[in-house]
Amino acid sequence: MNTGKKTMTLNLTEAEMSVLEDLCAKKDLSKTSLLRQALRLYQLVESRLESGGKLFFEDDKTKEKAEVMIL
Amino acid sequence: MTVTVSPVFLLNSATGQAEAAELWDAITETQLADYEGEWLPEQFKAVQRLKRAGVERKHWPQSRHWDWRRKTAALQGMLANPGFSVVCGDLTQGMMLVDTTMKRARIDSQKGKNLVYVSFVENAPWNRKELLFDPPRYRGVGSVLMRAAVELSKHEDFKGRIGLHSLPQSNSFYANTCGMTDLGPDQDYQGLRYFEMTPEQAEAFIAKGGRT
Repeated sequence: MNTGKKTMTLNLTEAEMSVLEDLCAKKDLSKTSLLRQALRLYQLVESRLESGGKLFFEDDKTKEKAEVMIL
Repeated sequence: MTVTVSPVFLLNSATGQAEAAELWDAITETQLADYEGEWLPEQFKAVQRLKRAGVERKHWPQSRHWDWRRKTAALQGMLANPGFSVVCGDLTQGMMLVDTTMKRARIDSQKGKNLVYVSFVENAPWNRKELLFDPPRYRGVGSVLMRAAVELSKHEDFKGRIGLHSLPQSNSFYANTCGMTDLGPDQDYQGLRYFEMTPEQAEAFIAKGGRT
């Protein structure tokens, strides 16, 4: 796999860092891995929205769907 | 696009010897040309052989409807969906597309954790015994690609966890060769059986080197 990487400095507020650390603990991921996941997901959502898609969450039990509003 | 090529080995059935091959971390125009110019004609002939041999249509390979150019184009540039290919003897011997973002583990001990989901994986027609290529030209393509998925999973901090829905002809490969857990038919996915590999199973798979 392509391992050529570039380093960047990221400035986060205390609240943002707290959320990042909580998510890392919950997902058992490093900060780098979690942010890379977030970037992929953001790219995917943007791509689908640009091509006319809508983003929904579906309740697994009730099958009720709720559209996620993306501004 | 930068492509990383790693050395791997396949077993050449004709010589009985290991043959040097390459694992590419991409599906490029080279692979798609091989698919259209080499795989598809062989696949058509193979389906004809199956029909003439009286094999029922339901036993024909379900992957015959896959269009790798269309799949690859749809995911072009998406970070969440890298592709891999195996090249040997100047021809593409296998291809795989994975999803690193949208799926989560289902096994109780791993539930909700990230994994690499193998969306599509296919061997070249001449490597597939079920297409009446007996013996297949090369063995080990599927294991090389599964190993690539495991390594990607480890690289992403997913600890080797991978998951996939298996076409019926491949169930035994995933259960026995790969040592994955069979979670049974998934009614939300055309009834295909869902298989998952835990971190421990991933280590065991790597340790045995993909042997049956």
